[in-house]
Amino acid sequence: MFFDKGRKVSTFIEQLVNGLTVGSFYALVALGYSMVYGVMKLINFAHGDLFALGAYLGYSLLTGATGKITASMGLWGGMAFTAFLVALSVALAGVLVERIAYRPVYPSGRLSLVVSALGMAIFIQNAVMAIWGSRPRAFPASVVPSLRFSLFGIPVTLLQVTILGISFALMLAIWLIVEKSSFGAAVRAAALDRETATLLGIDVRKVIFFVFALGPGLGGVAGLMNGLYYRAISFNMGWNYGLKAFTATILGGIGNIPGAMLGGLILGVVESLLAGYVSGAWKDVFVFILLIAILIFRPRGLLGEKTAEKV
Amino acid sequence: MRMTTKKAGLVLGICCVALFLALLAGCGGGQSGKTVKIALQAPITGDYAYEGQMAKQSVEVAAELINKAGGLLGKQVEILIVDDASNPKDSALAAQKAVSQKAAAVIGSYGSSVTEPAADIYEKNKIVSVGYGCTAVRLTMDRERKYFFRTCGRDDAQGLFFGKYAVETMGAKRIAIMHDNSTFAKGVADEAMKALEPYVAQGKTEVVYFDAVTPKEKDFSAAVTKLRETKPDVWYFTGYYPEAGLLIRQARDAGLDCPFIGGNAAINDDFVKIAGLDVAAGALMTQEPLVTDVTTDIASQFKALYAEKFKELPSSPWPVYAADALYAIAGAIDKAGKLDSDAIAEAMRGRMEGVQGVTGALLFTDRGDRRDVPYKMYKVDPEGKLVVAGL
Repeated sequence: MFFDKGRKVSTFIEQLVNGLTVGSFYALVALGYSMVYGVMKLINFAHGDLFALGAYLGYSLLTGATGKITASMGLWGGMAFTAFLVALSVALAGVLVERIAYRPVYPSGRLSLVVSALGMAIFIQNAVMAIWGSRPRAFPASVVPSLRFSLFGIPVTLLQVTILGISFALMLAIWLIVEKSSFGAAVRAAALDRETATLLGIDVRKVIFFVFALGPGLGGVAGLMNGLYYRAISFNMGWNYGLKAFTATILGGIGNIPGAMLGGLILGVVESLLAGYVSGAWKDVFVFILLIAILIFRPRGLLGEKTAEKV
Repeated sequence: MRMTTKKAGLVLGICCVALFLALLAGCGGGQSGKTVKIALQAPITGDYAYEGQMAKQSVEVAAELINKAGGLLGKQVEILIVDDASNPKDSALAAQKAVSQKAAAVIGSYGSSVTEPAADIYEKNKIVSVGYGCTAVRLTMDRERKYFFRTCGRDDAQGLFFGKYAVETMGAKRIAIMHDNSTFAKGVADEAMKALEPYVAQGKTEVVYFDAVTPKEKDFSAAVTKLRETKPDVWYFTGYYPEAGLLIRQARDAGLDCPFIGGNAAINDDFVKIAGLDVAAGALMTQEPLVTDVTTDIASQFKALYAEKFKELPSSPWPVYAADALYAIAGAIDKAGKLDSDAIAEAMRGRMEGVQGVTGALLFTDRGDRRDVPYKMYKVDPEGKLVVAGL
């Protein structure tokens, strides 16, 4: 079914770009799952809803009374300011989630943690619905100018290019922090073996604070960009993105940070090609067949969770 | 002394039995007290909460109008709200709640797959229920239900209307049909496909695309790029407005410029907001007439009171069908002269002459479908308002 006669190469590349855009959202959300899992061995189900919270905070900042303030800073200035505030507040929310819902139940085992995480997800989703209402909200058209142009014959929008650029820059920055900085080394050490890391003088609490600020902060920015790009946000949008990003995390190897990015991008591209060349109705069926296949043949995901050699 | 004790015991026993019987009779009769309880089952929360809220407001307005005109059988109408959150599981719970609160009849619900489990529960408990947004053909045609009716039209009527309009009025040679795999959207899409079959057989048109998108997703660029490659003359999307708004915008971004026709759940003011006015203007929609385009006597009373209470009139056609469900129930109870479900159902089927609702005469077929539901082609005008486009 792939590459029927008469299908142009440019359409294929266009589908790739479509897939990369969705994939970069999945990847940004997946990073948060992966970092938290690495350190806490916990699937933070509330993460998808923190992503939705970011979208709604961005909506409030860009419209109404606060919209006038952000608009007065110009397009780029206003956006940067909004993104900064959203990242900061969602990071704070992430840290609070850890303090309130995870730290107190951590000693009682992983099952309690998972239940607590699910409860937190439901809590955040319903709080968003109670504050902003159940109707889908639309980012006003005046906020984002829609500039269309052709890049090597492929129709793209300025927003699409900007979002791809920012996503890749953020992913690169996270990768550099985790792989090259000394704090990143502490994070990796805590992920490998929490007790030994503590014995070696690493403040694991600080590491946990760091991943719960950074992951949701990134997720919040992804939510804001998602709202700007698709212009429509709904209180339950976090569930779908959370599920797909979680899939991406497993695809790339849970706990592995470059794996989460790779998994997200692959998932986006595969989805887009399936919808484009096979059938939109069957897309999710094939996506999850792929996931199951990976779990069977490479249980640790594409890049594999980093495991310590036990000597 | 002994005899008198025995006698006293006997009297006490008879009293007890009488009291028990009286209680039983009270329960069986259901409606005691000064009001007639009618339940509204609607999605007050959940994905279609907006529709549910408007339905609640519409029914409240209709109830107030009925009460002002003297009520029902000399009693005031009282509306009980049960929330099904637009979810089949919650729907069964909501229906149980309406049953346990002894509603005389029920209005509801909005979605077809949500209405189905509730209709079964009402059927089992012998309570008349009147759906207001559930348009799936199978609700009345797959199974015979004695106590189920609906005030809205059926999907096949809408599909037929689309097919005729696309081929005969627009002269479309290449037609694309898209749905979202939900019962409702797939139903309309299938019926539209069926309606097009004779035209395809005559060589007048062809269906170049028939596929689904996944609801609640945000990125449909892959689907619209594929759609663009099929070069359609007209594109019919039968799903709901959150996806419709995103789809049309992403299609225009991808350079697909053919006319967009939405099904009757695809376009409302949120569609215009999500798509953006520049893109939404010109979008068409097959739909039952909006309350603003209805000119019956009851419609003008209804519009006046609704505007007074809630400022804006309902922006989708469905809430008005909920109000009409109440008018149909009230009319049938009035004709039956009592609150007996069998008598109400019997009156709904055969004795509704002269019963008027907001959208006109309320007559039902033996299977519970409404007779003569009109459809219109609507268009989003340059200001973002829905206006009648023709037919």
